[in-house]
Amino acid sequence: MNILTIPFRNIRRKPAKTLLLLLVFTLGVVSIVSLVSFSRVARHSLEQKLWAFGPNILVFPKIEQIRLSYGGMNAGNVTTDVRFLDERAVLAGIDAIPNRGNVRAVSPKLVTVAAMTVPGKASASGADSNVGVVGVLWDREKLIKNYWMPQGRYPETEEELLAGHAVAARLGLKPGDRVGLFGREMLVSGVLEPTGSDDDGVVFGNLALVQENAGRRGKLNFLEVAAICAGCPIGDIVDQMRAAVPDAEITAMMNVVEQRMYSLDFVSNLILAVSLIILFIACAMVGLSMMSQVNDRKREIGLLRSMGFSKGRVFQIVCFEGFLLGVAAGGIGYTIGFVASEKILGALRMLEDASLTFEPAHLAIACGVFGLVSTASSLLPAWKASRIEPSEALVSI
Amino acid sequence: MIEAFGIGKTFRSNGSEIHALRDVSLSVRDGEFVSIAGRSGSGKTTLLNVLSTLMRPDSGTIRYDGRDAASMDARELDALRKNEIAMVFQFHYLLPYLTAIENVALPFMDSMIPVSRDRTDHAMRCLSRVGLKGKEHRLPGQLSGGEQQRVAIARALVTSAKILFADEPTGSLDKGTGREIMELIRGFTDDGLSVVMVTHDREYASVADRVVSMEDGRIVV
Repeated sequence: MNILTIPFRNIRRKPAKTLLLLLVFTLGVVSIVSLVSFSRVARHSLEQKLWAFGPNILVFPKIEQIRLSYGGMNAGNVTTDVRFLDERAVLAGIDAIPNRGNVRAVSPKLVTVAAMTVPGKASASGADSNVGVVGVLWDREKLIKNYWMPQGRYPETEEELLAGHAVAARLGLKPGDRVGLFGREMLVSGVLEPTGSDDDGVVFGNLALVQENAGRRGKLNFLEVAAICAGCPIGDIVDQMRAAVPDAEITAMMNVVEQRMYSLDFVSNLILAVSLIILFIACAMVGLSMMSQVNDRKREIGLLRSMGFSKGRVFQIVCFEGFLLGVAAGGIGYTIGFVASEKILGALRMLEDASLTFEPAHLAIACGVFGLVSTASSLLPAWKASRIEPSEALVSI
Repeated sequence: MIEAFGIGKTFRSNGSEIHALRDVSLSVRDGEFVSIAGRSGSGKTTLLNVLSTLMRPDSGTIRYDGRDAASMDARELDALRKNEIAMVFQFHYLLPYLTAIENVALPFMDSMIPVSRDRTDHAMRCLSRVGLKGKEHRLPGQLSGGEQQRVAIARALVTSAKILFADEPTGSLDKGTGREIMELIRGFTDDGLSVVMVTHDREYASVADRVVSMEDGRIVV
């Protein structure tokens, strides 16, 4: 027996009323837990889908250009020094940045031009056609260009190529054709559907093969990076990459990134707003119920005051009742909310890309947080209870 | 010892004034049993409430063993109520969700520190003394009116207070039970407890060492 015996027993006095209040508060907690779970899964799922739109950071070697103009005649820019990046160094540099966890894929490339021989399709200038050839690492390229839809299949060996839609149309290439490139016969394993990008006009091949034949072994002149940073600006990632790869020119496609971040933030903010409204309503219910209880228990409070219970003790008793209610609602609500989220998200097939795990620590945090929130809702009723004088509660003239 | 001098108390309601107490002076010695008798509206309950610190007087002074109640701050007043004053009301005012023993031990339950074994045993003895041995774990709703009032008396006794204020303690009981309660209260004065009891029943009032009659807010005898 101690001061806590009073609130413990009191909340059991009117079980129906207590259960009703607990139910209302628990429903609030269930809603919040479900919404937060939904938000987490939806955010993860959205992130997954957003990656499908390709890279958002481009990496080039630093180049020097001279602007040629004379007598008002503009002859454009001329690159005076063609440079390349070291493949091993640049990949190691990007791997070492603090926000590496936010970099989903890095696709190194060597872009060059080579003569392609297409049997039976001689060009006007001769048997060979110059084409842009991009050497890629296929596992990385497929990760970053997961929106590609090739006719045929992706290359599996060094001797296989993937042709862009426009170049394939120009040269009459189709999956299964054999062409001459780098002095050897190669198989066109697939042709890309139109992408509306530069990918349509080039041929993709094995990076090591392209490097070897371009005389640039271990060198790169272009990298595409897919990065997203929910908790920090994309500028931080770019700055870290610039520091890690000082020879490179690194450009963020800010509008793309910002649009993605906006989508994620919008979902999160919407969930937060709805959660806050639900929490506010639940708190108002608890506060009103506690106020009603204080009015009902004036005589009891007056009795305690007549026995020497201080105003602070009376305040504690009411607050502790609110705390008990919040802890119970937090515990029950978190458990029900978790199970409900799992079932609903499962039914909506939203758990294919993400998973929900029951965390005892989260349960404890929910109990603590909602206990405190409920206590805060009880502050005004508790203050009112502490102001009750025994004379007004017990005395009749 | 409690001493009251020149106590005045006026209630104002709807523009009119009711002079509940007019220049009342009264002293109660240690171990003395004083009954305050009078008709309804004579001011006897108001006097009891003022003497027991539940109500502040508009004028006059009250001294508890020489200490002026008017100069006490909230903490001192709480301590006075907790350690020196006990109260029994016409209606028992037991907490319905606590058992008999918990109601008796209620004055000790004012902190996070659990009530000690000694204090629990003391509460048990108080319950036994009012004849409720074996009913310690019953809720008030499981006890008769007389038993509930006995629990309230045991609760008043448990703190070893110096003075007991009783406001019509037999008012809601039948005659036989009322007499038993009066005998109980009378017995406590033998232990040195002072008692100030308000009653409109002359028979019960006569049990006291001294009977004070009130009329129109004044002590007349």
